[in-house]
Order: sequence, then structure tokens, then C-alpha cells
Amino acid sequence: MTGITRRAAMLGTTAALAAPAIIARAADTIRIGVTSPETGAAAESGQYMRDGINLAVAAVNAKGGVLGRQIETIVADDQTTNPGAVLAFSKLASDPSMVAFIGSIRSTQVQAMAPSVLKTAKPMMIGGTDPKLTHQGNRWLFRCRPNDTYSAKTIASYGVHTLGHKKIALIASTDAFGTGGRDALTAELKALGITPVLTIGYANQQADFTPVVLRIRSSGADLITSYFTYETDLGVFARQLRQLGVRTQWLGSPSIVDTAALELAGPALYGTYGVADYAVDASPESKAYAADFQKHFGKVPDNQSSWAFDAINILAIAIGNAKSTDPEAVRTAILSVQGYKGAEGEYDFDQNGDGLHGYSVVQNQAGKINFIKYVEFPKPS
Amino acid sequence: MLAILPQLLYTGLGIGAIYAICSLGFVLLIRAANVVNFAQGQFSMLGAYIMLVLLVGLGVPYWAAFLLAVVLMAAFGILFAGAVYWPLRHRSQLTVIISTIGASILLPNAVLAIYGPSPATVPGLFASSGFQLGPVFVDSQYLSIIVVAVLMVALQYVVFEKTLLGKKLQATSQDKEMAAMLGISVVGMVLITFAYSAALGALAGVLVAPVLFVSVGMGATLALKAFAANIIGGYGSIPGAIIGGIVIGLAETLGAAYISTPYKDAFGFVILLAVLLVRPRGIFGELIAEKA
Repeated sequence: MTGITRRAAMLGTTAALAAPAIIARAADTIRIGVTSPETGAAAESGQYMRDGINLAVAAVNAKGGVLGRQIETIVADDQTTNPGAVLAFSKLASDPSMVAFIGSIRSTQVQAMAPSVLKTAKPMMIGGTDPKLTHQGNRWLFRCRPNDTYSAKTIASYGVHTLGHKKIALIASTDAFGTGGRDALTAELKALGITPVLTIGYANQQADFTPVVLRIRSSGADLITSYFTYETDLGVFARQLRQLGVRTQWLGSPSIVDTAALELAGPALYGTYGVADYAVDASPESKAYAADFQKHFGKVPDNQSSWAFDAINILAIAIGNAKSTDPEAVRTAILSVQGYKGAEGEYDFDQNGDGLHGYSVVQNQAGKINFIKYVEFPKPS
Repeated sequence: MLAILPQLLYTGLGIGAIYAICSLGFVLLIRAANVVNFAQGQFSMLGAYIMLVLLVGLGVPYWAAFLLAVVLMAAFGILFAGAVYWPLRHRSQLTVIISTIGASILLPNAVLAIYGPSPATVPGLFASSGFQLGPVFVDSQYLSIIVVAVLMVALQYVVFEKTLLGKKLQATSQDKEMAAMLGISVVGMVLITFAYSAALGALAGVLVAPVLFVSVGMGATLALKAFAANIIGGYGSIPGAIIGGIVIGLAETLGAAYISTPYKDAFGFVILLAVLLVRPRGIFGELIAEKA
């Protein structure tokens, strides 16, 4: 026994005791880490996200799970802040049994987590629509919503060609999402030979939008286009816009049809158009999802939940096809997902990691969101 | 661009009045109990939630819900004093500040746990959203806020400067032992102050709820500006709190319209820095000089 010290023997014993436990747990479930806002400004949409995830997990598990194992999600609160998101992700990523992650719908938080995701080298499904997120060489980000190149293309073509407007005002948040959308829309309008009569930014969480509204009013714009990040900002802006007598037509990014925004702004949003990645009436799958969501949670779903619902299903398909939880194999399998019909639309992953390439145009008619048409763009080769 | 000036002035005044009412609550506690209460904004949030529960949840008539929210918050102020201030009253001012910061974290998270994260709407004081007066759309809720702010300033001035109660409150603030020796009930004065301060916070909350929506985060938005207003106007000064609040409201609104919208929040704080450089005690800052 001379070669073995007491410490080494202790370590060996600990390892021998712990090892079966680790193996047993890994064999039990496929663990997916979720960063989601449970507190902070986006807490209301975080609940929708987790509802969507739970709905998908329950369905997958009811069918026997993946690779004979049940899916288990572990949620960490991102506090709706960038440092919170990074902290939540590192907490989840420090657990080696995590197979994949579901990140944020907010581009600014995905951007904050992206370097850590790259280091962790495991797939993260995201909902942030800033085009740059999947175009900066981070091979581990997979987007379950169409990026803002497509929302911008849809807003520009529908606003200019279909609605026939030429004098366009653009209002956008100054965060990563808003500036990404602003740049994309400016470029798409330029391609149609149009320079906005007014481009205006605002910082998130404003108590008052009077200065913005007055500048829009004096700009003489005949169409307002917008990239709002938070529903409360959109609600305050919408109400003040109508109060100050601005009746200009409005075609906004998806936040304009968020359930929370519809409740807060009420009649101030009647008649407005929006582009939406999730529209209830867009497809049989989106209708089925809405019915299921309504049955379980007693509320109408929006895009805060649908992308996360799809993310779980795509991960389940990819892990099943890969027949392994090896990150590299799962990554290849996600990129091979083609023609999968989810709640958000038909997924055809491109090599950047973008699953969707089109948007629906919808209109708010007295509080009800009516589907107008779906605009699909070719997938980049 | 000058055509929009009247509207901007009106809105700036309205927003400023909100900051001012919230700031008054701050000043009151500083003057009477020498407490800097970082949970002041949360009094507004709680008041708005109580109003929401009474009005929407229990179907209490509007004015009854409005008044009940304010009265219940006054009672809450006494509880708050007992839990957050009283056990630490003999410690340094810093200890009490840390305690109020703790409360400012606890309260919104408690509301979040009970009511969930969805923001909600409450109707304004008047059915009509406002009326057009020349070039200005007079938002009825902003108008109510401005009127209430003026009334509150008048009330607070009269109470502090013209009544025996006000003199007792001030005496307690300046020297508790001396006040006690003169037969003033120090405990009573401190409790009255906390109750009134919480009621003021609730008043700001129920007034601002139709404008900003009722959300867990609304307290933090208000508190930061109200605190800055207090510093600009002069630490512990009643007219200062009002002027400071209105200065910030106007600076934000005019700055956003004429200089830069994205930097809207910065304008109030640029003025704060400028005031601190030129008049370190704030515009009406004689209180520190008296105490030094």
C-alpha cells in the first residue's frame, strides 16, 4: 500500500461513488438550459416563452422523449439585462451535462451572451432578430425566427408597393435590436429609392414620447415604421401618438402585435399594420399551436412563445437525427433541418443558422389580429 | 420647430410635476426623520397596485379606490417605519440608507411574486383623455398631476412652516433628544412622517399609473428622477423638490425634441452635474448650511 496515500484513496473513493450518479443522471434526461427573463422589464414576455417551452417539452416527452430519454429544462433568470443574461448563461453552461441552450428573444442579450456561447461550443437556439447575430462567425447560434433583413424587406415592400407610401418616418430603439432593424430597413428603403423623411431613436423605458410624436407630426410622413423593443414603450408611444392627433398609417415590427402591447395600447393600435413572425392564421401548424396554447394556459399565444416552442421541437428532431448529444453532431443535424413546419413557419436552415426567411403581414382590426399575407424570401445560398 | 414649443412645455411640466410629487416624499423624510429613503419610488408602485386591485379586482368605485389606495399606503408607511427604520434608528444614517435600498429591492420582487409580471392599465381621473387648447393638446391626466402637485406643495408648506405639528416635526428632525425634552413625542412624529411620505408616494403612483401603466418597474423609473430633482433643487428643500422636478421634466422633454431623443435621460443628469458644479448645495440648498 506504499504507493497510495490516504488522500489519493479518498479521492478515488469519492470519484467511484460520484461517477455512477453522474452517469445515471446523464442517462436519465436530456438537459436543456434556458435563459429567460423572470424579472425585469421583459418579465411579462418571459412567462410566454416558458409556457411555449413547457408545451413543447410535454409533447415531446409524452411521445417517449428523444433517444429514449426525457427532455428536462433548467431555467436561469436573465433579469432582462445583458449582465443578467451573461450570468444566467454561465451558471447553466458550468453544468457539463447540458446538451443545448435556449437563449433570448432579445438581440442585445444574445449579443452579450454570444462570446460565452462560442467558448462553450454547444448549440444555442435564439429568437433575437438582429441579422448580425448569425452573421459574425458564431457557429453555435441557431435562429428560430426570421431575422430583421426579412422584416425590413417585408415592411419596405408592403409599405411602399402595397400601401403606396413614399414619405416614411422610422422610429427605433437605440439598443442592438432597434439599431439592427433601423439599419436593415434604411437599406431596404434605399433599394426602393426612398430615404426616410425622419429617422429617430429613443432609449428604452421612456415615461413620455411627446417629443418623438411631435417630430413625426412635423415631418409630414405618411407612414410610420417602427422597431420597438418593449411593449410598455410601444404602449405609451401609441397612446400619445393618437392623443396628439397623429392619424398617420403605421406599419411596425412584430412587437406591435404582441399580446401585452395590444392590451396596454388598446384602441390606439386599431387599424395599424404589423409584420409578424407568428400569426395565428398563417398555417395549419400555427392554428394548431394557438389552440393548444389556449387550452393549456387560457391565453392567446404570440411570438414570445412560438419561437421557443419551435426551438425545443427542432432540438428534439436534431438530437434524434444525430442519434447523439455530441454538440458537433447536433449542430450538423440542426443545419440539416429542412421543410420542418413549426408554429412560426417552415424551417429551412441555411448555413448561417437562420431557420426562417419570411414574414407575415397582419392588421389590427379593433383589437383582433387579422392575417393578410405571408411573404417568403429565397434562402441565401 | 418653435410651433411645437407650447406642447413640449406643457408635457415637460406634467412629467416634471410627477417627479416633483415623488420628490416631495423624499424631502419630507429627510426634513423630519433625517432619512434618505431609496424605497420612495416603490411607495408609488405599491400605491398603483393597490389601486389596481381595488378598482379592477374588487370593483371598488374609482374615487373610493383612489382614496383607499392613499390611505392604505399611509398605514403601510407606519409598518415600513417599524421594519426598515425603527430597529436602526440609533445607527448611522448610512445604515438606514442601506436598509431602505434593501426594501427597494424587496418590495418590487414581492409584488412580482404575487401579481406576476404583466403590466396593466388603469383609467385616468377623467373619462375624456383631454382637450385642444390652441396649439396644445391638454392631456387631462397631466393636468390633474400638475394641479395635485401645486396643492401638495401648498399643503406641505403650510404644515411645515405654519402649524405646530410642522414645527414639532422639524424640531424632531433637528435634534431628537432636545425635542423629547420639550415634550414632543418623537415616536409619534417619526410615524406621522413615514405615513404622510408613503401616502404622497402612493398619490404619485395612482396619478401616474394611467400614463406609465402599472408595472413592477415603475417605482425605479420615478425614484431615480425624483432623487435627482431633490439634489438639483437643494437637499431637503421643499421648493427645491418642486423646482428640481420641473427642471428635469422640462430638460428631458425639450432636450429630446431639440437636441437628441436617444439621450433624453441624459439631459436631467447633465443639469444635475452643472448645478452641483455651480451650486453644490442645489438651487435652494440652505438646509445643509444650517446644519453644518
